[in-house]
Amino acid sequence: MWRRYGDAVYTLLTLAIFGFETIALGGLSVSFLLGAATGIASTPVEGILLGVVISSASALGMLGLYLLSYHFISSMRDRWHGDQIDQWTEWWVGLALAGPEEPVEDGSRRPKLPRVAVDSVLSLLEAVKGEEGDRLKEALAGHGVDRWFLRRARAGHLTSRLDAIEALGKARLPDTLDDLLGLLRHTKPVVRRMAARAAAGILAIMPPEPGPDGPHDRFIEAVKRADLQPGVVQEALLLLETRAGPVLGQLLADPELSDSLRWVVLETTGRLGLADMADALAGAADHPDPELRAATFRALRRLGSVPEGAEAHLLEAVEDEVDFVRVQAAHAAAFLSAETALPALEPRLEDPSWWVRRAAAGSLARLGEIGIATVKRAAQSHPDQAAREMAVQILLEADELTPAAARLATGVA
Amino acid sequence: MLSTPRLTDARILVVDDERVNVVLLERILEQDGYRNVKSVTDPTEAVALYDQFEPDLVLLDLHMPKLDGFGVMKLLEDRISSDTFLPILILTADIRPEIKRRALSAGAKDFVTKPFDRTEVLLRIQNLLETRFLHLRVRIDPVPEGQAT
Repeated sequence: MWRRYGDAVYTLLTLAIFGFETIALGGLSVSFLLGAATGIASTPVEGILLGVVISSASALGMLGLYLLSYHFISSMRDRWHGDQIDQWTEWWVGLALAGPEEPVEDGSRRPKLPRVAVDSVLSLLEAVKGEEGDRLKEALAGHGVDRWFLRRARAGHLTSRLDAIEALGKARLPDTLDDLLGLLRHTKPVVRRMAARAAAGILAIMPPEPGPDGPHDRFIEAVKRADLQPGVVQEALLLLETRAGPVLGQLLADPELSDSLRWVVLETTGRLGLADMADALAGAADHPDPELRAATFRALRRLGSVPEGAEAHLLEAVEDEVDFVRVQAAHAAAFLSAETALPALEPRLEDPSWWVRRAAAGSLARLGEIGIATVKRAAQSHPDQAAREMAVQILLEADELTPAAARLATGVA
Repeated sequence: MLSTPRLTDARILVVDDERVNVVLLERILEQDGYRNVKSVTDPTEAVALYDQFEPDLVLLDLHMPKLDGFGVMKLLEDRISSDTFLPILILTADIRPEIKRRALSAGAKDFVTKPFDRTEVLLRIQNLLETRFLHLRVRIDPVPEGQAT
């Protein structure tokens, strides 16, 4: 909206203000000049004033002209660039859908592509994969674009480096994976971050290769050794998309994995909803670090299942000494059988933490009729007022109680 | 008895703010024989084009400026009667389960993740259009009671 209409409004406003100023100053200049010619304004002070007025009018005129020219040229350039992008897009789409490009004869080199052509094909590679994507990548590599970007990613100005790394991430050329993994050891955190994103994007489209030296293993080792913020690792793991499962599983199975990385892996597994990894998560359910215990139960809650191996730990965690662990455990308990969860959750209705009471009441309400009946009983006759109020709140949210009945139960007029 | 329309006669509306994606989808559909494809890169124009074009299928991007895919679906919801099956195929790079759930509850019928595979997109489009035409046929030419199973 702003880009479309804001520029025009800005130009018109600038033109109006500068135009008014220029005309006013021009008028003043003329009157001074006439005065000087007729001998009325002939003192040195008036001469200086005249010079100032004329130079101000000229400066404003130049500025106004510059602004108008700037917008005109920008608009022309944008249109030209858009046309170029459209032409190249058509060309690349034709290449992607029509079949292999004509082979290059030995010894001959394809001409260097203009930047607009590279931008166009990189955008296209974000949209298409499979045979069509492979054709585009082959063409890119044939023109030496991958080597050019790699050279820029290794040296030069920081902005150019980041630009090149981002382009490599979009191009998703498997041959550039190891170069990008090498950049995870770069001194600048922003370069490491961009390289991690780009490498993950490439790995996401590579077929799994079994063996200790496969791309997944190389990615895992590089991430473990790199000094990356947890958020950066999580972003990279999320970008692995359908390839995330094996990588996350391998990381979880590593007994020497750092706690911060393990926390990231647990969070990512939950966020990606990788339900078949619930068993692998169970291993961290009794971790000494409460952050990791909480992350485990949060992940299981997101997956919507609690594996047998984690049940006993979950029941213990509902009574954990750390309140945020109890909150997550109470949430995850909704996915236990009603018979198992009920005795663990009911006492939590009088937990000192509001969050635990809420999680326990919410999970009880999800256990079906028996759970709802327990919450209703608590709303009516629990000796603890906080437990009664929380039970009423949950019943209201679950449409199991009318507002009038809720007022009666809590004694609010 | 009405004849079943050919899938390639189907009207397909593409809504994506990325011109590159629109061109790609148009060419893929053209190459597969679809002749009635219209597209917009400004999502605020999608509803007007929908009213004018009355598509059999909408290919919709989720993350767009001004009006996202959820907003477009919300606007379309008011125009689609409850007994009409208008398939909306979401094309998105966002693979988060909560986004998929949200889109499905907003009216989307299927998903394709970007970058997409040409064959997969075409198959999903074909499946959705077949369902659309079967639905239309049942509405126009209901199965006689005696033949109903």
